[in-house]
This record gives sequence, structure tokens and C-alpha cells, in this order.
Amino acid sequence: MRRNPALYYGKKALVFLLSVFVLSVAVFYISRLAPGDPLMSYYGERTEKMSVEEKEAAREKLGLNDPIYIQYIRWVENAAKGEFGISFKYKQDVMEVIGSRIGFTLILGGIGFVLTFAGALLLGVLCAWHEDKWVDKILCKGGTLLSCIPEFWLSLALILIFAVTLRWLPSSGAYDIGYKDDWLNRVTHLILPLTIVVLQHLWYYAYMVRNKLLEETRADYVLLGKSKGLSKKDIMLKHCLRNVLPSYISMMAISVPHVVGGTYIVETVFSYPGIGALSYESARYHDYNLLMVLCMMTGVLVIFCNLIGGIINERIDPRIKANEVVQISEVTVD
Amino acid sequence: MTEEKLFTMVGIRPESATPEKKVSRRKGFPWVSVVLMTAIVLCCLAAELLMTKDPGYLDLENFNVAPNGEFLFGTDTLGRDIFSGIWYGGRISITIGFFATVIATFIAVVYGSVSGIAPAWLDNLMMRFAEIFLSVPGLLLVLFLQAILGQANVLTLSIVIGVTGWASIAKIIRTEVRQIRSSEYVVASRCMGGRFFHVLGKHLAPNFVSCVMFMVVMNVRTAIVTESTLSFMGMGLPLEIISWGSMLSLAEKALLTDSWWIIIIPGTFLVTLLMCITNVGNYMRKAANRKGSNL
Repeated sequence: MRRNPALYYGKKALVFLLSVFVLSVAVFYISRLAPGDPLMSYYGERTEKMSVEEKEAAREKLGLNDPIYIQYIRWVENAAKGEFGISFKYKQDVMEVIGSRIGFTLILGGIGFVLTFAGALLLGVLCAWHEDKWVDKILCKGGTLLSCIPEFWLSLALILIFAVTLRWLPSSGAYDIGYKDDWLNRVTHLILPLTIVVLQHLWYYAYMVRNKLLEETRADYVLLGKSKGLSKKDIMLKHCLRNVLPSYISMMAISVPHVVGGTYIVETVFSYPGIGALSYESARYHDYNLLMVLCMMTGVLVIFCNLIGGIINERIDPRIKANEVVQISEVTVD
Repeated sequence: MTEEKLFTMVGIRPESATPEKKVSRRKGFPWVSVVLMTAIVLCCLAAELLMTKDPGYLDLENFNVAPNGEFLFGTDTLGRDIFSGIWYGGRISITIGFFATVIATFIAVVYGSVSGIAPAWLDNLMMRFAEIFLSVPGLLLVLFLQAILGQANVLTLSIVIGVTGWASIAKIIRTEVRQIRSSEYVVASRCMGGRFFHVLGKHLAPNFVSCVMFMVVMNVRTAIVTESTLSFMGMGLPLEIISWGSMLSLAEKALLTDSWWIIIIPGTFLVTLLMCITNVGNYMRKAANRKGSNL
């Protein structure tokens, strides 16, 4: 199917660029057509005291008076030069604002991602191994319960238990003031948010691994293996699991934005200074430039990861068309 | 295991060894969940009968009171009675879950059927769009939409949650429609001049209802979670409109004063309801006869 790799990847790249373009236009228009005054986020309280002429001058200065498509073209021109404008709220270059915070999100989301997928694989195999025994039943019940608990409430409950009542762990921030370089301090601040990130996604993927494995154990090659005298362990781990892994890996690729980028609630509840909380703020306070870049970052990540997931899958199993991969995100709990 | 035993076991599947027993259709029916869910919904509908106080009244003398004889579930940081608020607010939470799902299902049915009937290129285009829609983290989309729309009320919130939640249902409907669209009865109906909505309602819908029921039920769950999350973050319903989410938006103040009841009690109701909905949904999904394992 990949007779000409250049053509194949060229096509993929074209789809990618086109998607990014459509996304940027959509975000740009929607955010600007929305009611709400961007001047408020730039000048804050002072806006109310400004005269009509002053407001007009301010709009002119920020380039808010031109038609939207002109604003968009200007934005693209500047973006091509690497200038994304200043954040209205922080009065700083957008990239600087994001740069100072993105590390926190990458740590939280990245570690969460690794733990989630390692844990889910382990749990899934464990459940499939003990199918319909009490271990499996308890894990399934517990997992269903876990998937029913809203993320924010779980965070609140954990804060209430571990930070307020037991006073074992801090409830907010990424480090205490004055402890910026103390990694132990940072780790203690990371435990609760990380627990939430992992718990939030764990069961969804574990359940998927369990079901896929159970499907595999019903295949005929299992019978063959058994009649040749292979042990349950060998069949399960060397044969069944091996058949499940490809789709698991492409699943991991697609889930990157969900797990790594899906930390906005956790960050807001824990006042964790990452870009999740930042994107929530920027949407709320009509901080256009910031919102635009954050949206584009998420969007590009989503599109890119979907593409990678598709490519991985086609490579491993040519029977699968790329678009079938996305179906697995159908019942996402978030 | 002896060699002989291994030899006889291999290849024998449990279902072929014993004659199939007729399984009662009611087996595995989630009685507990259904009863609990009905109870919660009925209590919320009959909130006026159950309420001991006015849920919106700010009792400045009794704020932040722990559960006691007068205030069964305590009062929140503004002095509102939580027991009354639970029933009164539950009504709004459930309403939003219901309406959002109706909107999402309606869009999904139309979109999915059109895509299923449409020529290949349009079908492709529509499905690509649905996929892009699906791959954007759902809550982020709702957050942005709601932020843009400004102050939420029950209607706008239902609409926002509804228009962001249709894609997964639409995909399933499209697959089903694609399979039955060239059956004789559909062709016959169209030859006789049946319009799109006629064919949809008379011939297509009855065929895909059973497949999407699970998704629809789960959509109610997602909608309720989304409402509560948004309200909690201060972007959904304002504090004056009591819902389980907006009750929980006082949580930060509650944490400072160590008042666990403000967080735990509305949350427990929320989780219980969600759990019941999930159990009902899972019951609908369960495959009838699963093959026995070969292992």
C-alpha cells in the first residue's frame, strides 16, 4: 500500500496542514465573534472609567477594529515570524507566559501518562487472567465506580482527606514559597494531582485491555497452543498479549492529548501553575492571543497524535484503515 | 493435571458439553440501581414536599452548620440548607442531563442518518469532521463554548453540552444506517416517495435504536458530570441557581473551614446517581451469549 513513501507521507502532511488551517480559522472566528470585551482583560477595572474616545483609541492600538479576516491575516503573518502577540492579561509575550508554565504540565501529564498506561496494562492482564473470579469482579466493580466519580469531586475528596484532615500532603501549588529548587517539596506537591490524573484514565484503558484480551482467548490459536502443551502463562503473555499490544500502542498515541492535555480541571482545583489552568483562564477572560496559541497547541497535538496513531496502526496491521482507530475514543469518560 | 485429563479437555468447549440452559431475560437486571435511581429522581421531582427549608434562603445566623436535627445535612457557607438544596438542585442537574441528551441524540440521529445515506464522498467528509470533533477533549470544548457564551442558564448550558456530545452516537448510527440503507424495504419506501424523515422514523430508527441506547444512557451521565464540573469551576450555573454542581462550587471555602458535609453530601448523591445510570447502561450493552474462553 505504501508503494511511494514520498507520496504517502506527503498526503499525510497535506491533511495535517489543512486541518491546522481550518482549526486556526475556526478558533479565531469563534473567539472574536463571542460577546465579552477583550479590553477588560487588558485594562481590567480601568475600562469602566475610560471615555468612549479612549476606548476607541485602545481598540485601535490593539488592532481590534479591523474586520476579522484582516486580523486573521495579520495574526498569520506575525505567527510566521514567531510573534504571537502579547497576552492581554499578563502583559507579556504569549510565548513567555506559556514557556514559564508548560514544564509543570508536561511533568504532571507525562508522568501521569506513563503511570496510567503501565498500570492499565497490568490491571487489564490481571483481570483477564482471573476472568470472572472474585479478583476480576472486584476490580471491575471498583473500576466502574471510579469512572463514575467526577474528576473535580475526587480531587476535592482527596484534598479533604489528605490535606485538610490528615495534613500529610499540601493541597495547592507546585512548590512552597522559598522551596523552588527543593525537588522533595515538588514531589509532595505532585502526589495528589498525579493520583487524580492516573485514576481518572486508568480504568478506561484497563477495561479495554481486559476485553481485548478476553476476545483473544476465544481465538482458535489458543486451542492449538494448549494442545501443544503451552502453559496458560505462555499463551496469555506471549501470544494473546502480543496480539493486543499493537492496538494498545496506537491507542496510546491517540490518547496523548487526552491525558497530557486533559489536566485543566486538576490544575485548576490544585492551583497548579500549568497551561491547563492557563487555558481555562484565557477563555474566561477573553485573552485572545493567549487563547489562540493554547487552542492551536492542543489542536495540533490532537491532529498530530491521531495521524501518528493511524500510521502506527497501518504499519502494524495493514487491514485497518486509519479512520477506524479513532473509534476507540468513542466512549471516553471525560 | 494428568496427561489423560489434558487430552480430553482440549477442544471441548463448555457450551457444547452441556445443553444450553434458557437464561431468564431478567437475569442480571440491575434492580438496585433502577430502584435507587427512580427514588432519587422521584424525590427531586417532589422536592417541594420534601424540603424542610427554602433552599435559596440565606440564613445568616446558621451558616456552616454541621448536620444536626434541624438542618439534616447541615448548611453551606452562605447559610443555605443542604438537605433542601439536594432535592431542589437535583432537579436542575437531572433536567440538564436530560435536555442535553435529547439535543445530542437529535443531532446525532439526523447527522448519522444523512451521512449513512449520503454518497461516499459526503459520507467521508462528514465522518472525518465527526472524528476531528471526537478527538478534541470534550470538556475543553464545552469550557470554551460556555466561556464565549457568557453567563449560563439551564437552557444555554443544555445546548452547549448537547452540541458537543453528539459525535460518538452519530458514528454508530451511520454504521447501522449504511448496513440497512440498501435493503428492499428502504428502497421500496423511497420509490413510493417516502421523504427523508419518513424513512428515518419508520424504517431506519427502529433498527438502530437498540444499538445506540447504551450510548444515549451514557450521554446522560456525561452531561450531568459536565454540568457539575462547569458549575463547580464557576463557568456553569451561577450560585443562585441551585444544582449539585453549583452547590459544590462552594467547596473551596468549605475546605478552608473544614466543613466536609458541603463537599461530601452533594457529591455522594451525584456519584450514586451516576453509578446507577452506568449500571443501567451496561445492562443494555451486555452481549447476549458470550463464547466460553479457550484458556
